[in-house]
Amino acid sequence: MPHTARRVVLEPFRRNRGLLTSAYVLTVLWQLGEAAVPVMIGVVVDQGIATGDLGPFLLSCLGLGLVFLVFSLSYRFGGRMALRVQQAESHRLRLEAAGHVLDPRGVRDEQLSGETLSLATSDADKVTMLVRQLGYTIASLVTVVVTAVYLVGVDVTLALVVLLGLPVTIALTQAVSPVVARRTEREQAAVARVAGLAGDLVAGVRPIKGIGAEDVASHRYRTSSRAAQRSAVVTARSWGYLSGLTTFIAGAFLALVAWLAGSKALDGDLSLGQLVAVVGLTQFLAEPIKHLGDLSAQAASSWASARRIAAFLSTERDLVDGTVADVPERPRVELAGVTHGRLRDVSLSTSDGELLALAVDDPAAAAALVALLGGDVVPDSGEVRVGGTPAHALTIDARRRSVLVVPHAAYLPEGTLRSVVDPLGRLGADELDAVLAASAAEDVVALHDTGLDHAVRARGASLSGGQRQRLALARALAATPAVLVLHDPTSAVDAVTEQRVAAGLSALRRGHGATVVVTSSPALLAAADRVVWVRDGRVAAEASHATLLAEPDYREAVLR
Amino acid sequence: MSAPAAERTLLPVAGRGATTRLTLRLLARRPVAATATVLGFVLAGLAGVVSPWALGVVVDVVRDGGSRDDLATPVLSIVAAALVGALAEVVAVGALAQTAVPALAQLREDVLDRSLRLDSGRLEAAGTGDVMARVGDDVRTVTDALDEAVPLLVGSLTAIVFTAGGLFALDWRLGLAGLLALPAYAASLGWYLPRSGPFYRRERVAQGERAEALMAGVQGAGTWRAFGHERLAMEQVERTSDTARGLAQDVFVMLTRFWARMNRAELVGMLLVLGAGFWLVRDGAVTVGAATAAALYFHRLFNPIGAVLMVFDVVQRSGASLARLAGVALLPRDETAAHDLPGAPALVLSGVGHAWEPGVPVLHDVDLAVAPGERVALVGSTGAGKTTLAAVAAGLVTPTSGSVRLAGRPLDELGPATVRRHVAVVSQEVHVLTGTLRDNLTLAREDADDADLHEALDRVGASGWLATLPGGLDAPVGTFGVELTAAQAQQVALARVLLRDPAVVVLDEATAEAGSAGARDLEDAALEVVRGRSAVVVAHRLTQARTADRVVVMEAGRVVEQGPHDELVAAEGRYAELWRAWTSS
Repeated sequence: MPHTARRVVLEPFRRNRGLLTSAYVLTVLWQLGEAAVPVMIGVVVDQGIATGDLGPFLLSCLGLGLVFLVFSLSYRFGGRMALRVQQAESHRLRLEAAGHVLDPRGVRDEQLSGETLSLATSDADKVTMLVRQLGYTIASLVTVVVTAVYLVGVDVTLALVVLLGLPVTIALTQAVSPVVARRTEREQAAVARVAGLAGDLVAGVRPIKGIGAEDVASHRYRTSSRAAQRSAVVTARSWGYLSGLTTFIAGAFLALVAWLAGSKALDGDLSLGQLVAVVGLTQFLAEPIKHLGDLSAQAASSWASARRIAAFLSTERDLVDGTVADVPERPRVELAGVTHGRLRDVSLSTSDGELLALAVDDPAAAAALVALLGGDVVPDSGEVRVGGTPAHALTIDARRRSVLVVPHAAYLPEGTLRSVVDPLGRLGADELDAVLAASAAEDVVALHDTGLDHAVRARGASLSGGQRQRLALARALAATPAVLVLHDPTSAVDAVTEQRVAAGLSALRRGHGATVVVTSSPALLAAADRVVWVRDGRVAAEASHATLLAEPDYREAVLR
Repeated sequence: MSAPAAERTLLPVAGRGATTRLTLRLLARRPVAATATVLGFVLAGLAGVVSPWALGVVVDVVRDGGSRDDLATPVLSIVAAALVGALAEVVAVGALAQTAVPALAQLREDVLDRSLRLDSGRLEAAGTGDVMARVGDDVRTVTDALDEAVPLLVGSLTAIVFTAGGLFALDWRLGLAGLLALPAYAASLGWYLPRSGPFYRRERVAQGERAEALMAGVQGAGTWRAFGHERLAMEQVERTSDTARGLAQDVFVMLTRFWARMNRAELVGMLLVLGAGFWLVRDGAVTVGAATAAALYFHRLFNPIGAVLMVFDVVQRSGASLARLAGVALLPRDETAAHDLPGAPALVLSGVGHAWEPGVPVLHDVDLAVAPGERVALVGSTGAGKTTLAAVAAGLVTPTSGSVRLAGRPLDELGPATVRRHVAVVSQEVHVLTGTLRDNLTLAREDADDADLHEALDRVGASGWLATLPGGLDAPVGTFGVELTAAQAQQVALARVLLRDPAVVVLDEATAEAGSAGARDLEDAALEVVRGRSAVVVAHRLTQARTADRVVVMEAGRVVEQGPHDELVAAEGRYAELWRAWTSS
């Protein structure tokens, strides 16, 4: 289903028809109950105070108490229901936004993480606020209608003035509301930008501190924050105009009714009691009028949020998804005459149980190769095949099941050493030990008394680069994929550890499937069963590391 | 799968006194706007009292059988009051924004500023979600609260004063009856505030956790996807969002129970006034009209009193947010101006020990002296404490024991500004800030011109790709622009050091994340950057150690060997072992 602002706004109502109907009925009951209070006061005065009889006085007071009980309970439960729906829908939108980012098909990420955060919290809340707003709107409208019906019984002219006058007054207040809406939208966008910048700066805090650029960074945030501030003041002012306009129109309308009713009463067309009632009701109407007047600007602000959410949810997927779900358990990944980016007519293939190293001279070509091996990218020409099937024809799930491509700068989540390496808790103690040993991550575990239960901060911030890299490698090994593609997995570890990793990797992976390492580390190249040397985007040679070392160009490329 | 919130050491939260003082100070910065706000809302409140009075006059005119002309005064007063009230509202709302919005902007800027200046360990322990929730959710809560509370408070107080005055003017006993409702109001407030306060605080913390989970999902999306573990990240978002939702609902339930108590207080007051009216009328002390008017006046007090009580709630709700903002904004900021140190300063670490977590020391009694212009390579297996030592040497982290001196003076005496002027660090994390390439470079020196930037990029070997970058220096990079490779990003970081031109450079495996394919280019760039400076180079690529003046070998947080490369190789110790591993492959 396409994501439109309309759908984002309407879905919460559709999904919660039952609960919202009850909530709105109770809200109307509450509003009518509030309106009945002055009426009941009149009854107490008429029946009790004016007569001086204690019995009727107490009885009417009891009636007043009942009215209180009804509207108080109505609000209590109606309000809770509406809030429950609002919170549930806000939660749902949040999950939808998170789910969009975390969709297996990927997403063309056009937003800063801070902006996405703002979308999933602030905007989601704003959209779902409409669920509660509608309750008050219905209550206001019902009050207006009930009042109008009463007025028809009193005086038709007055009733007409009120009934025709109300839409006109509300329409007048709408004159400025598009301006308010536009400004609000601009302000919200500015606020989202400020949030985005904050996230960006906080994420880059280490490099920033490293060159003592706290001042400059702080200044940039300040500039952005000030722009949002100016926008917020302008928006607030326009809300002020809207509010002032509504106040004035409601007042002028009241004056008109007072004059008409007063004149009619003087002419004898209206009794004194009716005059009091008409004037009292018109005055009471000021509240609903004001509410209805503000409504469209508030709704516009919610719509602006809904549009942003819809636009975000409509961003394109960036991975191809095919239909073939069948792949052999231990497939072979092949590149057949692939030309893509810097790569020219590259052909290579993995084989089960083998450690294949790709020595690539150009980082951009290396990155392209890694992306192609995962099958997520369709090459400009040539074909990538997994288990004999073109990769793009496979479902994402089928590709994931067979090939694991570990991003070079892999993200480590918050948790413990154990949960980072084996998030699903699939491995037995022996298997886990084997994985930790092969990746030399056992050293990291040994550093702490708490061992595998040692806490890890988000992004692995509490670890050194080499520790992060080894944990990421351990996690990849723990996943036991049929084809494992690693990109420079030892760039941050020392030479001795690197040799241990190279030996451990080839030994452990031999029993699990094919392994591809894009690297120029001699230790890894030496441990590989086969090396494909890619120079200037083409396959220059394919042999063992030892054999290739005879080529002066290769020596030059891989030796330090 | 994640550490529970309790384990996270959140950033500080200010006490009530400090929060209040900060708020007043911020509001007092714009005294004219603040005064205009109060006066505007008072005037608007006054204008609101005019129409009930004028309508009473209309009724009187009709009852006394007056003429149409007599209606003119009350009717025109309503129009005039509406006009005055409307204008007052326009002015007051604008003035409020001018008072509050800049104050909050200032607050969020200060929070971010202090967060950037925090010790990185402390910031990472708190989690970026905590900072994000403060500059986002908390600022929003306070803004909404002010927009809501200030007009309500001022307008309502005005209405209460005049209406209550009217009640007493009718008859003092009727007024007194109304006043007797106060304890009932106070009791409902006394029931509510202590109960909801902790909930609001928990709600704020839960929002921080939610932000953290969302950020983890977004920032780690590629990795979650690669492993097919999207579900795990989603579960985390779902769990934290659900907790926040549950708390929001609990708070609301409490709020509705508070409103019910408030309704009870209204009913009690109403019955007291009606009852007093009943006895007074029976005793002939007041007229039925007066008793009626008293009841209607008291009824008109419902909304303003309710509004004032709600302000307490708003203050409490936003108070939790404000305290979180103030907690960070009030962190002391070292204002010591940067000053130049004479000549080329020497960097001396003596007896340095450090533990990131109590009881888990990662450095033990390390001595390290870097002479002016000397290049020291720090090698050892990962986890040996090299990065920690580099951070200590750079003054980014205060060690738990021992001292660090620059030009003979302890770093804390020099102040962070001076230290940062003379010591720059390139860490292994690469982060390209969203913006243009220029933005990323001028971070180091704001007044650098194009020639400076080109020269710096040229020296780190980046001029090749710069030439092919559409837009050149003004090309957008990072999330919205060209994705720089790790090697390019690191070149940018090195170019920043050249622009900064410090006397001491600490390179913490600045060539690591580039991957081996780009490592050699980066090594050349690193050489260019350290030329003519004192340098501490954390290196696992031993080619960098070989060209250093001195190699310092670390194991398990201690220095185990040091000396020139050739001597250490000949000594057949730990370094020789590392070197063999490096060259044999």
